[in-house]
Amino acid sequence: MTNNLLWLIAAGPGLLIVVGLLPARRTLAAGRRTSLLARIAASASVAAALGAALVVLFAGTARTECYGVSGIGVSLYLDALSAMMFCLVAFIGLIVVIFSHHYLDGEPGQVYFVRRLCLTLAAVLLVIVAGNLALFAAAWIGTSMGLHRLLIFYPERQAALLAARKKFVASRIGELCLLGAMAILYRRFGTLDYAELFTAVRAWQPAFTPGLHAAALLLVATALLKSAQLPLHGWIIEVMETPTPVSALLHAGIVNAGGFLILRFSGIVALSVPALDTLAVVGGLTALFGSVVLLPQTSIKVSLAYSTIAQMGFMMLECGLGAFSAALLHILAHSLYKAHAFLSSGSVIDIARASWTPSPGGQPHPARMAISIMAVLFVTAVISPLFGASLTEQPGVFALGAVVALGLIHLIANSIDERPNGYVIGRTVALALLVAISYFGLQFAMEHLTAGVLPRTASLRGPFELAIVVATVASFGAVTLFQSILPRHASQARWQALYAHVSNGFYLNTLANRWVLAFWPNPPQPNTFQPYPLNLMKKPKP
Amino acid sequence: MNLARATPSGAPRAAADAAEVCTRAELEEAIAAACGRIAPLWPLKHFVAVNPFLGFAGQSFHAACTRMRRVARIDMLMPRAFYRQALATGIIEERDVEAALSRAPRDWRVPVSANALIVALREDVPIRTGRSAVVATVAELLDTRAEGDRQVSRTAFMIDEISKWCAAYFDEGQSVWRLPTRGASIYGAWRASMRYDRNPEMMGIAGFRAAVAALPEDCVEAIWAVIEILGVPRAAVADYLHQALCDIGGWAAYARYLVWQSELYGKADDTLVQLLAVRVVWGYALFLQHRDPGFRDAWRRAMQAAATPPQDDQAGDDPDIAIDLLMQVAYEGAYQRRLLAELAARPVEQAPPAASPGADDAAGPTVQAAFCIDVRSEVYRRALEAVCPEVETIGFAGFFGYPIEYVQIGHLTGGAQCPVLLTPKFVVCEGVGKASAEEETLILGLRQLRRRAARAWKSFKLSAVSSFIYVETAGLLFASKIVSDSAGLTRPVKDPNTDGLDADVIARVGPRIEARTVGGRATGFDAAQRITQAEAVLRAMSLTRQFAGLVLLIGHGSTTANNPHASSFDCGACGGHTGEANARVAAAILNDPEVRIGLRERGIDIPAGTWFLGGLHNTTTDEIELFDADAIPAEHADAALRLRTSLAQASARCRAERAVNLGIAGRADVETRIRARSRDWSEVRPEWGLAGNAAFFAGPRRMTRGVDLKGRAFLHDYTWQSDAGFSVLELIMTAPMVVASWINLQYYGSTVNNRAFGSGNKVLHNVTGTIGVLEGNAGDLKVGLPWQSISDGARLVHEPLRLNVFIAAPLEAINGVIAKHENVRHLADNRWLHLFALDDAGRVTHRYRREGQWEPLPASAAESMESKESTEAMVAEDTMVSEDAMLSEDLMVSEDAMVSADSAVSAVSTVSAVSAVSAVSAVSADSTVSAASAAFEDSADSAVPLDLGIPLDSAVSVDSAVATDSTVSTHSTVSTHSTMSTHSTGPTDSTGSTVSAD
Repeated sequence: MTNNLLWLIAAGPGLLIVVGLLPARRTLAAGRRTSLLARIAASASVAAALGAALVVLFAGTARTECYGVSGIGVSLYLDALSAMMFCLVAFIGLIVVIFSHHYLDGEPGQVYFVRRLCLTLAAVLLVIVAGNLALFAAAWIGTSMGLHRLLIFYPERQAALLAARKKFVASRIGELCLLGAMAILYRRFGTLDYAELFTAVRAWQPAFTPGLHAAALLLVATALLKSAQLPLHGWIIEVMETPTPVSALLHAGIVNAGGFLILRFSGIVALSVPALDTLAVVGGLTALFGSVVLLPQTSIKVSLAYSTIAQMGFMMLECGLGAFSAALLHILAHSLYKAHAFLSSGSVIDIARASWTPSPGGQPHPARMAISIMAVLFVTAVISPLFGASLTEQPGVFALGAVVALGLIHLIANSIDERPNGYVIGRTVALALLVAISYFGLQFAMEHLTAGVLPRTASLRGPFELAIVVATVASFGAVTLFQSILPRHASQARWQALYAHVSNGFYLNTLANRWVLAFWPNPPQPNTFQPYPLNLMKKPKP
Repeated sequence: MNLARATPSGAPRAAADAAEVCTRAELEEAIAAACGRIAPLWPLKHFVAVNPFLGFAGQSFHAACTRMRRVARIDMLMPRAFYRQALATGIIEERDVEAALSRAPRDWRVPVSANALIVALREDVPIRTGRSAVVATVAELLDTRAEGDRQVSRTAFMIDEISKWCAAYFDEGQSVWRLPTRGASIYGAWRASMRYDRNPEMMGIAGFRAAVAALPEDCVEAIWAVIEILGVPRAAVADYLHQALCDIGGWAAYARYLVWQSELYGKADDTLVQLLAVRVVWGYALFLQHRDPGFRDAWRRAMQAAATPPQDDQAGDDPDIAIDLLMQVAYEGAYQRRLLAELAARPVEQAPPAASPGADDAAGPTVQAAFCIDVRSEVYRRALEAVCPEVETIGFAGFFGYPIEYVQIGHLTGGAQCPVLLTPKFVVCEGVGKASAEEETLILGLRQLRRRAARAWKSFKLSAVSSFIYVETAGLLFASKIVSDSAGLTRPVKDPNTDGLDADVIARVGPRIEARTVGGRATGFDAAQRITQAEAVLRAMSLTRQFAGLVLLIGHGSTTANNPHASSFDCGACGGHTGEANARVAAAILNDPEVRIGLRERGIDIPAGTWFLGGLHNTTTDEIELFDADAIPAEHADAALRLRTSLAQASARCRAERAVNLGIAGRADVETRIRARSRDWSEVRPEWGLAGNAAFFAGPRRMTRGVDLKGRAFLHDYTWQSDAGFSVLELIMTAPMVVASWINLQYYGSTVNNRAFGSGNKVLHNVTGTIGVLEGNAGDLKVGLPWQSISDGARLVHEPLRLNVFIAAPLEAINGVIAKHENVRHLADNRWLHLFALDDAGRVTHRYRREGQWEPLPASAAESMESKESTEAMVAEDTMVSEDAMLSEDLMVSEDAMVSADSAVSAVSTVSAVSAVSAVSAVSADSTVSAASAAFEDSADSAVPLDLGIPLDSAVSVDSAVATDSTVSTHSTVSTHSTMSTHSTGPTDSTGSTVSAD
């Protein structure tokens, strides 16, 4: 069967696993050698990803046979979703491997770093191309394990241990949820192979049982835990205890796994209203939480981490509102953006040196902002039904459209400050137009690309969803307004109090730390640890 | 003080009755002492090297080592394994150890012989981090009781909290929502914030907010209250506060920088005291958590132990640190021995530079090229001299004598482009060459508008709601950005210096020297200022005659990408900026015909055919860019063309040399690879900066020309014969030499203890507040250099050596500067650097001891290093210092004993005529050592330190008592400097070290 040629794309992750398991000694030369081998393997993964994309482009969804017993085993499954995700992760993996080559040069443990990086990357790629739930779960657990090893790359760093342990707890809970979902699905359908499973689910559609709702909810819980959603988000803001490329891979590749899970099993999740509502509520809250807590953060990497939490939350919200293709777009775009943001986080001083001018224009006035926001909401409510995006027909489109409009208003309002200038406003309005066109263009293109793979946006599910949509639009509007009021009232007592609560992330992470320390205290590290190599006197070869 | 007011109800006092508690005046003194021990930290936007031991300059190097280890468990010396390795690989030889041993102060408990020392070295010192500090803070005690687990003890949490709060308070642009209370003083703002902040309580520190609120509003009062409640004994308060500051050393250093900046402009600033109050109150809040008798008892005992602090200047109290110190001295001695031999091997030029072919005095070399004294210039200068022997190179601080504030287009203020010891005297604005006023306004306006549009876009990217839309619309574009950044085709962000300007404008921007008023401030230079400054600069460069046709003034800067510490590679003399503007300003002013006329009136005749040309040495790629080349007069066109060829050859040569340390030597594509490094966003070692620096020369270039100093020496040109009144010498020793020492000690500190004095591992760096870096996600702000700046992983690229300063000037003149300037005296007398003098022929003739005393070095040092003969006879004959009859006998004796030991060391690297006198002195040196070691053994037997707690003057008498008769009689001719009497008789703890480390 020609489809078995698909196994060729497994060569990418396969090579990464080989490099990850190669025996090597802890020397600098071995580190460099392994790093170069990793580059070859990562390049092979990119080639495999491009191959996979071509296959899907010309042949549509493809899959291999399942080697195993009754649908539990090893198989690959390729459709538009996995092809795009495979390309994304392979690409970011290659960039991270290349980046690490110089970045970790001279690091005594580079060889271990590269090996763990390769294994983790391979696990993420397998999560994406897996053709059945068993392989998916195995790769899923492998991702957590690999990441855990990367997080404690400097085992003497107590803060790294603390973060890794928080992550460990969240991951294990998530994996239990995944295994639970797997068990339910297997009991119901007798297979874990995607193709059979998805067909069976579609056939089952009219009578969704409580068991299937439970499976969908467990899948949602797994995804939320993987993507650092409230309230177990704390580990992700503390994983800067390991080299920057890990952060890039984590924020651009691994946290997406949660979103990918929802999309992969969207055929199941979309049928369960409680699951979707959970996604929308937790995602929406996390998005607002992350984007507000981000505001007072003072270090670049922690800011980026909160941004990831928020973006993942927004992506989950999109899923919850049934806008699955928008969520996929969000994953792709966010990964690329965040990978770059982390890898270039050393440039923040350059940015600071460039932002010299005290703004000649001052701040936009909040009253103007408030009026704009209300105008936007009004326009959205009145005009969008004319384009078919009515509140009841396509609530997701309606809510997200309002958020887009809020963003554009923010963009334009920021250019109309106390001393409005035609050039600035003109340029920004043009930019806003460009943003709007590309936004809707990209959404359209993505919906087209994933047609048949991801469920289409559904109509209103019920009053609870209506409440969610209204709450989303209202709270996003409120936050936008809040941010423009902020500079003027910051010194009042209640704003001071709010600042204290917000800057501490509403104390959620502190409580998590306290809890982890109480039940899992750090063993004291030997004080004699010598962090840096002492074989100092060797002269370089001329 | 009113205890009822200060003490929250129910807070029990830990120990001590009121008599032991210090008064407010004493407390203020202790606060000043503790704060004074913190060195400033410059922000990353213009990061400059700082001596991390700045606050200890007033005490000797060894006293500082002892104190840091005792108070804060911070090591200032390499781990023993390093010295063992240096011995095993022959970098330190046994004679170096012997020499170090023989110059150890008599009151130290040191091993009896070099062999014994080497044996003792085999044992690693567990006390390094294990021994508890003599003055424990609450945090220290909690850590000890938690067996070092700083998470469980909550001290790690405390530091994270203070650090996070400081970042919010000092933030310069990272956060979108700024700390609301940041307008108030730190302590006040913190107190206000803590009314609402429940984070400590969420972590289990009960009653935190109430504890803070109950303490006084005034920061000193608050510290006082805590000190009193904790019962910190009077004698230990300064150390207690110092150790408390060490926990948050990075932010303390940044606060110290703010204080420094204020003081530079004559303003008082108590930022650091306020920060200290925050830290002390935090410790107090932790103290309140622990009411169990076990903790309280331990605390009481700790405070009792703290009541009698040891004397840090007697390193002999601690034989382990004495061994480490001696090995460091031996290590430095080994370097000096080799360097002196190399200098001596150079053919001695008696004549002034033979560059002028004709007899005409006015005719100089064809080209003169002045570079910054930076050690990286040494490599380039040597390369240039090699490819083009008729070029004369000059070394001068890279700001070329122009302390300017350089205001870039569109800015309102600019950075101070001068050494951080100075304040800018002139404001220079950036302008666009050959642009009309209208065009300039257009360019400026466009840049500002682009900035505002960019700001709106940035706000769109970062704001709470719009960021989601930003990601969905712009995110995919980062695919191509990632590829082009990875390939080095683009920078991750735009260059801040040229952002918002069009390419054709960028090529035309440069400093504008015309005097005019901009924004209410006088900018540029008027006619008088130009002439005065030009004269000062030329005299300071010792460049007053024999001008070449083309004189290059080459500043330096680096090109790196994605590197938070980028400015650490730029010019320190330009305050962490590139030297481009300064070099161009200097060249433009010196080309001004009216300046030439003015200079002629003041005795400096620059020929009409001389043209000054500004340039920039890119230290990452070793290319030289020449500025304003279109203004070069036609008569120099050919010379300029030839010059460019020479510069290109020199650059290639320079790169080939540097390629060795970059690990790419011998490859065909060295140039491509070096260029790629300067653009690589993942490169953690784009260049080696000033790593390796070890020496500073102030003298004519002919004295070092032809010697391969391996990019390890600062070279400052100086001709004392043309320095009337030695004002230039004074300038060199108070500015460039001090700055070089700062750089040297920063590298030293970052090497010996990167955790304490360096910024740790670059791959974990997390820029905070756009001020500095954290290592990882939290913890204290990091100071100093990243580990990657001093090591390539396989070996140390920087060797931890204190700076060796060589000055070609009469000893009286050097002594004059030392006597006049306390900071120079501290550096030299307290052994923060080693000072040598050169004679007119470029021979190293004397080595500075202390207090104006010099020890002569023998004439030829090239061979027969085995010689142990002392140069005692020469000491007797040549000693600089006049006899002082006022000195008491025992002081003279003790001083003599040291001289004998010292000179025995100096003889190690020299050969001298064998004489009866030297034979006698060799005996005397030996006998002194054995006497001292006998004392060591005695004290070891009785298990009582030799002179614990004995005031210094009595220590001296012990010393003289153990010295043998022969020592005394042989050296009675040697006299001591008059200043010594005041210095050595003061038995003070902090500064009164009469005995130098080496």
